[in-house]
Amino acid sequence: METNIALKADHIIKYFYEPQKFQVLKDVSFEVKKGEFLSLTGKSGSGKSTLLYVLSTMDTNYEGELFINGEKLTGQSQNNLAAFRNEHIGFVFQFHYLLPEFSALDNVMLPAMKLNKKSKQEIEDKAYKNLKLLGLEDQALKLASKLSGGQQQRVAIARALINDPSIIMGDEPTGNLDSKNTQVVFDIFKELAHEQGQTIITVTHDDDFARNSDRIIDMSDGVIIRHH
Amino acid sequence: MFATNLKIAKVHLTSKIKQTVVALLGVMFGISMYVFMNSFMTGVNDVQTDLAFTSLAHIHIYNDGPADNTNLVKRVYKGKDVAINIRNAKVIQYTEGIKNTQEILDLVRKQPEVIGITPQVNINVFFRNGSNKVNGTLSGVDVDNENRLFNISTYMTNGTWNSLQYRHDGVILGLDLAQQLSLNINDNINVLTSDGVSRNFKVIGIYQTNVKGVDKSKAYVNISSARQLLSKNQDYVTDLQVNINNFEKTAPVVARLAPVIPYKVESWQTANQQLEAGSKLRDIIAMAVSLTILMVAGFGIYNIMNMTINEKIREIAILKAMGFSGRDVTEIFLVQAVVVGIIGGVIGMILGFVIADIVNHIPFKIGGLNNLPMAYHPKDYIMAFTFGLITTLVAGYLPARKASKIDPVDIIRG
Repeated sequence: METNIALKADHIIKYFYEPQKFQVLKDVSFEVKKGEFLSLTGKSGSGKSTLLYVLSTMDTNYEGELFINGEKLTGQSQNNLAAFRNEHIGFVFQFHYLLPEFSALDNVMLPAMKLNKKSKQEIEDKAYKNLKLLGLEDQALKLASKLSGGQQQRVAIARALINDPSIIMGDEPTGNLDSKNTQVVFDIFKELAHEQGQTIITVTHDDDFARNSDRIIDMSDGVIIRHH
Repeated sequence: MFATNLKIAKVHLTSKIKQTVVALLGVMFGISMYVFMNSFMTGVNDVQTDLAFTSLAHIHIYNDGPADNTNLVKRVYKGKDVAINIRNAKVIQYTEGIKNTQEILDLVRKQPEVIGITPQVNINVFFRNGSNKVNGTLSGVDVDNENRLFNISTYMTNGTWNSLQYRHDGVILGLDLAQQLSLNINDNINVLTSDGVSRNFKVIGIYQTNVKGVDKSKAYVNISSARQLLSKNQDYVTDLQVNINNFEKTAPVVARLAPVIPYKVESWQTANQQLEAGSKLRDIIAMAVSLTILMVAGFGIYNIMNMTINEKIREIAILKAMGFSGRDVTEIFLVQAVVVGIIGGVIGMILGFVIADIVNHIPFKIGGLNNLPMAYHPKDYIMAFTFGLITTLVAGYLPARKASKIDPVDIIRG
């Protein structure tokens, strides 16, 4: 395995069984380099989100093999995968998914508290830094449920960055953001990829966003139809 | 790591305070009812025991009377083909009462379980006053020891128990016996034994145990007077009453004493099986009732935990997506169950005590009781708390385990 490969998907096949058997991913194979900013595009139902969930290790019900940082993740136990996700993958969901009863700051801090490699003070400082990066420092102590949709999404991004994961995955990470904030997030992603060597994989409908990333994988009906 | 899970558990508990309170109420109610029911049952049992042991000792040693000698010939001729006809068989030599009392007293006192022993001379007599005659028992007692075993002095309604010590001409009567004979304190009473000896005593006290059978037919005199009445020596005793430290555990003491004492050694259980059955049955009822209460409370907790987890299913999925393991999730919800169990348990114990205390003050004036009986044993409280915590743990663990198995993709993808 080459050391500059961050993620390798090898012949990924996935079926949905409800309401009837349906092949979502048809033998998808590709590699992502370290420090690469990759966009997955395609129409609704093309299987791009499904692919992202497979790549995120949360969905284990597939055929084929998945490697991240040279480690084979296919077939590992749920708890191992959880620990792996905690340390190596930052995830931004389509609908932000914060814990509503916690403050924005707590939400950002949780994955780092779980990882438990830094002191609480360090984590808090880092969380503030991330929130500031996304222009949310004055919302830090508000409950997540009291934030607007766009703010919640930015908190989710700050949370995804807290453990300095080697891969950041986003399912429509800018879906709820205005153009200004979309630009802010885009710049952050670009900087993380190019200056810190973190790999970014996002699913997006936003053509501008995709066009400005390093590479686009375009999907349709469960197969990759184009690499840019 | 645990600190983080603890924090999440705390937020869950405090953000939906109403739900937490409902869960707490469930545990609280279960435990308080458990405490109350057990205190009440134990109280009733204690009263029952007290009443039973006002005239009954734990172990009774007495001369069982002569063996069955209606057919002496059969002992010699065992064959079936012997026709026997004996009429009006008479026992010509038979020792009444217990011989060598001092030796037996010493032996019994050496047993570590024994906390008291008292000798008695019990005589069947007629109590007479004028033309009134009542058949009853005259009990010659060792005044101090009798009181130590049966607490007779607390049942005195008139006169003092101790005066029997110095008044060899005095007698203490049961209340109903005194009324039946129209006797009052300082009146005279005539006692007639089966051997035809008659003697006058002075009524120096009246007692009431509320056990009618006793109050109606029993009178106490000093043991020396009783011996004198029978023209027996100062060693003569008909019964030895023994109390031990735990009245349930008579069997080993009886087993140890019976072979070395040439008289009948009988535990209260053998003599009064109906009492033992009553006591055991009440224990079983108490246990059944409290277990039912705990189970109902347990189901309540299970429901509430289940509801909480269904409500938080998205959050669980997010936590798992962020890298929290199934164990973390179990921990988070188990911590909530334990907190609810402990707080509910403590409040439940306090509430149980309060309910018990209130019920304890309800008047109940039958059989010498003034109010409903209640026992306050730390054991009941510890048991309630332990059982409550175990129930909460089980009731919390099942939904928590379910939560730990949630697949985040299923939830997040919708």
